[in-house]
Amino acid sequence: MKVSCCFFITLDVSNFKVNMRRILFLLCLFTLFSEHALHAQGNYEIQVYGADTEPPKSLMVEIHSNFTPDGQKKLIGGVYPTNHQEHETLELTEGLTSWSEVGFYVFTSEQDGHGVQWVGDHIRPRIRVPDSWHWPVGVSLSSEIGYQRAPYSPDTWTWEIRPIVDKAVGRWYFAVNPALERTLHGPDVKQGIGFAPGAKIGYDFTKVVSGGLEYYADYGRLGDFYSLHDQQQQIFLVTDLNVSPKWEINVGVGIGPTAATDHWIVKGILGRHFSWGKQSQTD
Amino acid sequence: MAQKTPAAKFAADTVRCYRQSVLTRRSLLKLGSLAAASAVVPRPARSLDKADYSLEIAPYTLEISARHSIKTTAYNGQVPGPLLRLREGKPVTIDVTNHSENEELVHWHGLFLPPNVDGAMEEGTAMIPPGGHARYTFTPAPSGFRWYHTHTFAGEDLKKSTYTGQHGFLMIDSAANPGQYDQEFFLALHDWEGEMTGSGDGSMNPEYRFATINGKTLGFGEPLRVQAGQRILLHILNSSATEQHWLALTGHQFRVIALDGNPVPNPQLVSMLRLAPAERICAVVEMNNPGVWVLGEVRKHVQATGMGIVVEYANRNGKAAWQQPEKLMWNYGQFAATTAPSAAPSAAKPVIEFPMVFESRFAGHGAPDHWTINGKSWPNVESPLLQTGQRYRLIFKNPSTDDHPVHLHRHTFELRSLPGKPNTHGILKDVVLVEANAEVHVEFTADHPGPTLFHCHQQNHMDEGFMLLFHYA
Repeated sequence: MKVSCCFFITLDVSNFKVNMRRILFLLCLFTLFSEHALHAQGNYEIQVYGADTEPPKSLMVEIHSNFTPDGQKKLIGGVYPTNHQEHETLELTEGLTSWSEVGFYVFTSEQDGHGVQWVGDHIRPRIRVPDSWHWPVGVSLSSEIGYQRAPYSPDTWTWEIRPIVDKAVGRWYFAVNPALERTLHGPDVKQGIGFAPGAKIGYDFTKVVSGGLEYYADYGRLGDFYSLHDQQQQIFLVTDLNVSPKWEINVGVGIGPTAATDHWIVKGILGRHFSWGKQSQTD
Repeated sequence: MAQKTPAAKFAADTVRCYRQSVLTRRSLLKLGSLAAASAVVPRPARSLDKADYSLEIAPYTLEISARHSIKTTAYNGQVPGPLLRLREGKPVTIDVTNHSENEELVHWHGLFLPPNVDGAMEEGTAMIPPGGHARYTFTPAPSGFRWYHTHTFAGEDLKKSTYTGQHGFLMIDSAANPGQYDQEFFLALHDWEGEMTGSGDGSMNPEYRFATINGKTLGFGEPLRVQAGQRILLHILNSSATEQHWLALTGHQFRVIALDGNPVPNPQLVSMLRLAPAERICAVVEMNNPGVWVLGEVRKHVQATGMGIVVEYANRNGKAAWQQPEKLMWNYGQFAATTAPSAAPSAAKPVIEFPMVFESRFAGHGAPDHWTINGKSWPNVESPLLQTGQRYRLIFKNPSTDDHPVHLHRHTFELRSLPGKPNTHGILKDVVLVEANAEVHVEFTADHPGPTLFHCHQQNHMDEGFMLLFHYA
């Protein structure tokens, strides 16, 4: 854990450096002293969305591979512990127009004693502000609805609406996803709307290699947040490899410093764009 | 004698404003207003005789279709600017008044002019401050289809410089005009309302909302009215700041007779034309297929943004027909001489080779790439020295993933080696497209002394350092 913290601190994020040291130090303390995770987690797709959508006549196929080396070790409310779970998620995103897309997810989990299990499916339509509007930042809005089996999530039907804002400035990249979640079926159905933001800051070291931090959280019900102890908080050190316009590669390692968060997660995303239809030179 | 003639001619070519030392492109923009403001003021303009032509640079709202207008800057309240038809060798004076809020100047593209009147501040032509005035006096040469346009820095502002409507046709008539046509049309291709977007390879380039021919989208402007049996001569200019364009005329073919205003040794019939930014093509079309047709961009997504014009035969009406080509076809080499000349003009002297490697330098996915020639980016470049009368071979090597329409000011070069055609003769141009991962060789004779600008004519590449200044020894 300490090694990990030192690794974070070495990131040169200039203005944020001092604050990051403090934050990370506090996060490490939380991690060391927290013992109980109170809420089930959904570490199936760990990604901060950018505002771009998939172009029409093309399909993005992504595999999200997430492993939890150090997670929840107890069975809570009939939900399997996340410790040493390997999650494989297939995400298919089809571009509809130059400003809209729809995504489908197939969630699976593999764990000793449980084998490979289908966890659930989601569908996620998304629209974005067209380029012709000339907004100074990229903006899109996704809506995700889906089912997951109760042994993996007590809330079996959920809905999420996720505003997405991003901006690339020189070598820097910024994105925020202040997502709102609503349980449609499950114990939290009367909880109302939860706030689960994500954010990313990245830096292009080269044309191919970018590195940065991703932040994920679940603060609980809007207007009545959990205590910090019970919130889910995760920070990932990530790298994006821009090896080809056709490929998307993202790997990262994250820590969850609060009691309600898996303490260690390793994630990877491998994606490829496929285009179809008659691709003429004159299209 | 050959060396004295241009120098003597240059002495008579002037622009009535102070010359400035060549600094950086950006600093010149700043300093230019101070230096030029003290030189190019209304006072001397009032004392001058009436010029042969005048150009007024001013904001202008261009109606490109019934539903869309573009706020831009234009010459004399029109896009393209007025056709200036000059006689080769006959001195001309052109007054330019700048009513815009930016410093401006006019580049006379393709002419053999001295640097102080050529219209590039890097060579020493003075900027015209807002509200200022300049008088350009020069002797036009060589004959052929040239053009004039702004030559300023745009940077991230895609509503400045060549992104605007500041372009116009410049026809230099020779004493022996062949005139083997019944009607001629001047057509300018342009793109509007660009926005920088990231491309798949990580670089940034503009994408445009509208594309026009002579400032109008397809179906909005007046058609080209022709009669069956006519031979029409098209003078086509790509004035786009950054985009290449392919054109086809359904039901007809083009006989290409000149590239960049210079007659080609081997005119050919082709079904489509490709024009890189700043290139010109002169082509004759036999009007032998009566109907109403579209002369338009071959690529569907570009024609959909408006690039096209209707060609209408007399006594024909109805919807203009368009037949979609399936491939893009263009090759400079087909117009080359079929046999090598018996003796090269520089046979007495060896040609000096000058390799130029075009590469980009990544500046982040949220910023445009910087461009370099031989590893150096303007203004931090070395200026090669040219010897008057010497013939040079420029070896363009483009390992980058972008195409580059490179332009040499104040000179004409001959294409000598093209991809797939290593020994080429007879094609004279002032712009050549060096495609990505390709190598092109050109030769020119250094016979117009003075600072000589070389740059990519793609505005965003030029603004990001793709520029170099030759000096004469």
